[in-house]
Amino acid sequence: MSPPVIAAHGVSKWYGQVIGLNNVTVSIPPGISGLLGPNGAGKSTLLKLVSGQLKPSQGHVQVLGEPIWGNPKAYRRIGYCPDHDGFYERMTGRDWLTALLGLGGFDDDRAARAAARALDTVGLTDAADRKIGGYSKGMRQRIKLAQAIAHDPELLVLDEPLAGLDPLGRRRVIDVIRAWGREGRSVVVSSHVLHEIELMTSNILLLNNGRILAEGNVHQIRDLIDEHPHTVRITADDPRRLARRLLGYSHVIAMQLQDGAVIAQTNRPDVFYTELTALAAGDEVGAVREVTSPDDNLHAVFSYLVNQ
Amino acid sequence: MPIHDHGYARYAGVRTQPGRAWAVIAGAGIGRMLSARPFLLVLLFAWLQFFVRAVMFYLAANVPQADVIAPSPATFRDFFDDQGFFVFVVAVYAGAGSIANDRRANALQIYLSKPLTRVEYIGGKLAVVMAFLALVTWAPALLLLVMQTMFTGSLSFVREHAFLVPAITLFAFLQVLVASITMLALSSLSTSARYVGMLYAGAVIFSEAVFQTLRGVTGGGTGLSWVSFSASLAQVGDVIFRVEPRYDTPWGVSLLAVALVIALSAWVLARRVRGVEIVA
Repeated sequence: MSPPVIAAHGVSKWYGQVIGLNNVTVSIPPGISGLLGPNGAGKSTLLKLVSGQLKPSQGHVQVLGEPIWGNPKAYRRIGYCPDHDGFYERMTGRDWLTALLGLGGFDDDRAARAAARALDTVGLTDAADRKIGGYSKGMRQRIKLAQAIAHDPELLVLDEPLAGLDPLGRRRVIDVIRAWGREGRSVVVSSHVLHEIELMTSNILLLNNGRILAEGNVHQIRDLIDEHPHTVRITADDPRRLARRLLGYSHVIAMQLQDGAVIAQTNRPDVFYTELTALAAGDEVGAVREVTSPDDNLHAVFSYLVNQ
Repeated sequence: MPIHDHGYARYAGVRTQPGRAWAVIAGAGIGRMLSARPFLLVLLFAWLQFFVRAVMFYLAANVPQADVIAPSPATFRDFFDDQGFFVFVVAVYAGAGSIANDRRANALQIYLSKPLTRVEYIGGKLAVVMAFLALVTWAPALLLLVMQTMFTGSLSFVREHAFLVPAITLFAFLQVLVASITMLALSSLSTSARYVGMLYAGAVIFSEAVFQTLRGVTGGGTGLSWVSFSASLAQVGDVIFRVEPRYDTPWGVSLLAVALVIALSAWVLARRVRGVEIVA
């Protein structure tokens, strides 16, 4: 198993009397990981700790195998995109990127080339020589993303990168993030919009009130919630017969017929699927055409966990 | 149909080692200031005194009747005193917005997410202000000494006052450092360069006003000159140039006051220059 790109152990962060993160221990594997939680959950705090912008009040954070706090050398391996804007409005996008690359140790020539490439990746080549002050919200988000990727980091830390983007810009940024992941690099991306994360990854970390609610694959998380009813939609040739049969199982707690399909709720999804497979294999209930789980998505998991 | 490669090639060039980013910040800051015409005009005015004194040195060296204006160590001390106004103006012009503008643009968080330490960031900003202040204090003062040697055609003045070169360098460094670091500290407290300028002027004027008030109350005694920012520096300057100290305050106390201003400014900078501002 690959070593984690981010390892936090017993990390807490207080802002005076307010707790931003509460005794978080987590290992984030390579690849794209989504950090999900409502506003104020502690997502930005965790990302600032991961990017070395904040010192943990307690515990320690390692990024790419190195302690991150007070280790600017390690920042070269990280591309950080904060949630808020931080530009000089009178600079052009290209100049801004080139200047930031200079801070990272690039010589002028290489910085110019890396900036041009990053601008191309985020689709801002045409606007590269315009002043940032004239950029739309979406362009600002993309130039921020460009500064995070321009120096060719191993890990991207993106705090709400899709906020304020129009559908086209959103698509573009999601494509960049997914392409980054496909190249074998790692991305940690935060959002409070569930479907945004789902479009990028199934590997998630759920945060609420400064605590980790769950981590891992969204489906695995779903499986962990045994007591939460799991909804399964089954399309079959004879749904009534199937429903009658399923009602005999003790782990099926609710049932309804809808548009020729059976929608069952179970508190033992593993057992349910095994027995459903056995039923489908026989001819007792006719042919089973399709089995889906309408609530096997981030929204259902998140709602359930947050409402706990 | 062209296929655009959106993949990334690893950077194969040479990267400067960490610890040199301050030079990038300093270079960018100096370049930006030099592209501002009003600032160039200020610099030009700041050199007027140099030209006037150079003419006086020439006359003293070549016209026997002008012997009364012959230079002495006090002349160089006076030169620094007279440059005080331009030190103030250049410090405000070059330093007031240096951190305030970054804070207003919210740029610190992005800057400090790069391989750049806070010390490098502050060092880069400090270098910009110090470079321009040195340009209106240390550089013309040393050049005046060179002029004096050229006009007289002998090194006797420099030999006779061998302490002048280190004195000019030391006092210029102290004056430049105090003005620069104080200005940067104030700049880190606000997001408005204009407000920072007023704050700096206020600090200088207020401390001087307090000193003058105390002086009046104590019947003209100058033992409390350490309360004034500029008086403390002037007192230390007199000692460095080996002229009669102008105030009753022991020079060690004045030096301590100057050191306290530097330490306080450094503390403010350490507290305020952070990628993430913590409001607790």
